[in-house]
Amino acid sequence: MSNFGLLFKGEMVRLLKYKIIQISFAMTLIWLLVIFLIGSEQAATFVPIFIFTDAALMTVLLVGASLFYEKQENTLKTLMITPSGLMAIISSKVLSAIYLALQSTIIIALFSMILFDVEIRFFWLISFVVVIAFTHTAIGYTFSVFAKDFNELIAQVGMYMIFFAMPTLFYALGVFSEAFETVLMFSPTHSALLMINYAFEADVRGILLLIGTIYLMVAPIFLFKYIIIPKYPETAVKD
Amino acid sequence: MEKVFEVKDLRFTYKKNRIEAVKGISFEVRKGEIFGLLGPSGAGKSTTQKILTKLFKDYHGEIMYLGKDLQSYSNDYYEELGVGFELPVHFSKLTGLENMKFFSQLYRNKNDIDDLLKKVGLYEDRNRMVAEYSKGMKMRLNFVRALLNNPKLLFLDEVTNGLDPKNARIIKDLIREFKEAGGTVFLSTHLMNDVEELCDRVAFIRGGEIVEISTPRELKIRYGKRELKVEYFDNGKTKEAIFELDGIGKNQAFLELINTHEIETMHSGETSLDDIFIEVTGEVGNV
Repeated sequence: MSNFGLLFKGEMVRLLKYKIIQISFAMTLIWLLVIFLIGSEQAATFVPIFIFTDAALMTVLLVGASLFYEKQENTLKTLMITPSGLMAIISSKVLSAIYLALQSTIIIALFSMILFDVEIRFFWLISFVVVIAFTHTAIGYTFSVFAKDFNELIAQVGMYMIFFAMPTLFYALGVFSEAFETVLMFSPTHSALLMINYAFEADVRGILLLIGTIYLMVAPIFLFKYIIIPKYPETAVKD
Repeated sequence: MEKVFEVKDLRFTYKKNRIEAVKGISFEVRKGEIFGLLGPSGAGKSTTQKILTKLFKDYHGEIMYLGKDLQSYSNDYYEELGVGFELPVHFSKLTGLENMKFFSQLYRNKNDIDDLLKKVGLYEDRNRMVAEYSKGMKMRLNFVRALLNNPKLLFLDEVTNGLDPKNARIIKDLIREFKEAGGTVFLSTHLMNDVEELCDRVAFIRGGEIVEISTPRELKIRYGKRELKVEYFDNGKTKEAIFELDGIGKNQAFLELINTHEIETMHSGETSLDDIFIEVTGEVGNV
């Protein structure tokens, strides 16, 4: 991991050069505008959903797309023949994805607190967003190492949205009854929303929060250990 | 001569399609030589290179690097290695210089980036984004990338691909310079003129198997015809005659011909590497 710092710095420089940070910031500004327009009464309901969308769903898409772009530029391959080591390479990419999620979370949270007095457990919000972004980075990478091309990646992300994210969003908006929540716990996005809701002082069942948190901490470790790390070199090297 | 690589019965099968891409090849690469691995697309050149650069690890057989099992080397192996890929390997939205600085800092050994950029004629364009570079410029930057850590061993894959003759000459001169400084080069290519100019020894690979291995000179003699073709003027017309090369100094017909006629050209029957490529691999190379 000796080159981890240099690799992370390189990732951050590229996030700027490829204007990913700027685009992410622009997205955040759009969320802020929406929060401003919906007003203080609705803010407490919608702000967690916006943060969830950014930290979970946007992370999957962003990580998947950026890995594909780097594969196209063959830079994954050339990094593999440096003394950096696979763990340092992957960790630097994961950390930069977590940074992006934190950037928008912090801005949205501070804006909501200052403008609308939305109550936030800040420590838990930051901690949970780190876990959520880590999990969804793993999900994004898993899609990338299996996708043959960009279209297949988009299709996989689309399927994930339909089967995992949409039910959670419908549940959050009250479309599904509470009885449905146990089934939804299989979805990483639902656990993510539970964790964010807790950080916004919503009424969350303790046992579900615990299960969801453990689930999101264990699932990415499983994905990295058994899928991403073994398959990453093959993905990086493929012409 | 010290062996850099000693490869014995190397086999590799792609897991996905279960195709055996390398079928029990054996060869050695000696210190300070330029070793060419030649063959058509899909013959197993790139796979072999990826195994030797430790990008593919699930191989069978034995690979010794400087007398030690290649598997026993840590990532420090890459400190000694430079790899010039067939396709550009740069961040397109960074400048050429930014790319080189980023990769350079990942190594303990460092070469002079400005000097390398000057040598390949990219110094003036160092602050332009790589996305604005032509393919030839990107390939030259690939070569600089390969030399960033002052390697002892260079792996080059189709290194002059996409370069005009002037820039191809610059790269070939730099490869020779690298060799003269004691470096070892493993060159994969199907461009036979690169091989003629650069390689000390070559191996032809076909369908994952090495079908021929020797020096270019020995191969040209072995695959060529032991004959001499003479073109001469006779009664205002160009005619030709072919003589056996063995005992040519005592061949009366030959001696009479060169004494009595104006000779236009004289060629030995030595064949080209391109012809050998076609013969041993069954495919047409690019001269």
